[in-house]
Amino acid sequence: MAVGLTHYLIVAAILFTLGVAGIILNRKNIIVILMSVELILLAVNLNLVAFSAFLGDLTGQVFGLLVLTVAAAESAIGLAILVVFYRNKGTISVEDINTMRG
Amino acid sequence: MPGLLDQYLPLVIFIAVSAVIAGALLVVPFIVAFQAPDPEKLSAYECGFNAFDDARMKFDVRFYLVALLFIIFDLEVAFLFPWAVAFHDVGLFGFWSMMGFLAVLTIGFMYEWNKGALEWD
Amino acid sequence: MVATVFLFYVFSIVAIASAFMVIAARNPVHSVLFLILAFVNAAGLFMLLGAEFLAMILVVVYVGAVAVLFLFVVMMLDVDFTVLRQGFLQYLPLGATIGAIVLIELVFVLGGWTLQPATVTMRAAPLAPNVTNTAALGRILYTQYVYFFQAAGFILLTAMIGSIVLTLRSRRGVKRQSIDAQNLRDRKVAVQLRKVPSRAGL
Repeated sequence: MAVGLTHYLIVAAILFTLGVAGIILNRKNIIVILMSVELILLAVNLNLVAFSAFLGDLTGQVFGLLVLTVAAAESAIGLAILVVFYRNKGTISVEDINTMRG
Repeated sequence: MPGLLDQYLPLVIFIAVSAVIAGALLVVPFIVAFQAPDPEKLSAYECGFNAFDDARMKFDVRFYLVALLFIIFDLEVAFLFPWAVAFHDVGLFGFWSMMGFLAVLTIGFMYEWNKGALEWD
Repeated sequence: MVATVFLFYVFSIVAIASAFMVIAARNPVHSVLFLILAFVNAAGLFMLLGAEFLAMILVVVYVGAVAVLFLFVVMMLDVDFTVLRQGFLQYLPLGATIGAIVLIELVFVLGGWTLQPATVTMRAAPLAPNVTNTAALGRILYTQYVYFFQAAGFILLTAMIGSIVLTLRSRRGVKRQSIDAQNLRDRKVAVQLRKVPSRAGL
């Protein structure tokens, strides 16, 4: 049984679902939420690369490179905000991030 | 594609050999070594008296800033690799597009240098 | 060919299992380590797809830098993580339901799609034979996709400036070396000659 495009898409779909479920399940722990976002972006990248390989078009890999860049910048800035928030408030619980609530 | 993966056969063999060696070193002590377990051997030792607090310490935030700047320049270097490999094909336009990219990041580098983010204290 | 199929299943099963452990692990340090395992296996999948360069970048940037950053933050913040774990079981039915719905939708999409035959003729950057993956990427990334490339540069600049603005604190009362002041200091500033009268002193 040869491995086709659908196999890779199923793996990416499962990774995406695990990322979404991780955001809902760990909604108090913002570090795990950020890791779940990384998983979702990894699933997106797997989709892009799989289509790129099976359609013979390199554009998917170029876009995957951009997604990697954005994901790294996102986690860097997200963790920086987290560090600053912890320094000011002494907690990282998502429930305590409510000063902008009217 | 199979031709591509054949080139990675040494890597697979390397990983397999290192896994075997690491696994053997992990398992052998349980079989061969003399064992006399004692809770005192595992307890924290601090000059004769009990440990005051947890061994986990808070890191300084300055380590984080260094790691963060490392990521940015890591990605910058990652963008340099295909440029270097395809240097003869990209032509003058590709050359100047990379120079523009490097100029943008040099602005950031100058900013962080001026702000003193590269100094330790 | 058999080896490729075998490697695909090994990589994908380990990647999915470690992704599950990322969201289910009790200790966030274990979560980060499972995230590293998931990324390494995803890099293996990229390699099977022929995207060598992206696989290497995934290992270098993610395993080498982003995962270390996560580990830093977990170790840096002195937080009682058992408190943050509370509510995991409370949210479990909701999370499982939403996850199952998303997965079912994705399965429907995957079961129902077909490729237009004309798609192959619409390729923007067809794979050239006898060119390595990195060289092929380099040929189009800096010319055909120059706006992508410059946008990536600006994103990196934003990340750099943003992280400095957020986390850099200037410390007061630290004595720093000032090289300019050191070099500009000359004999006129540093040495004073005084005539000292005898038996009077200064």
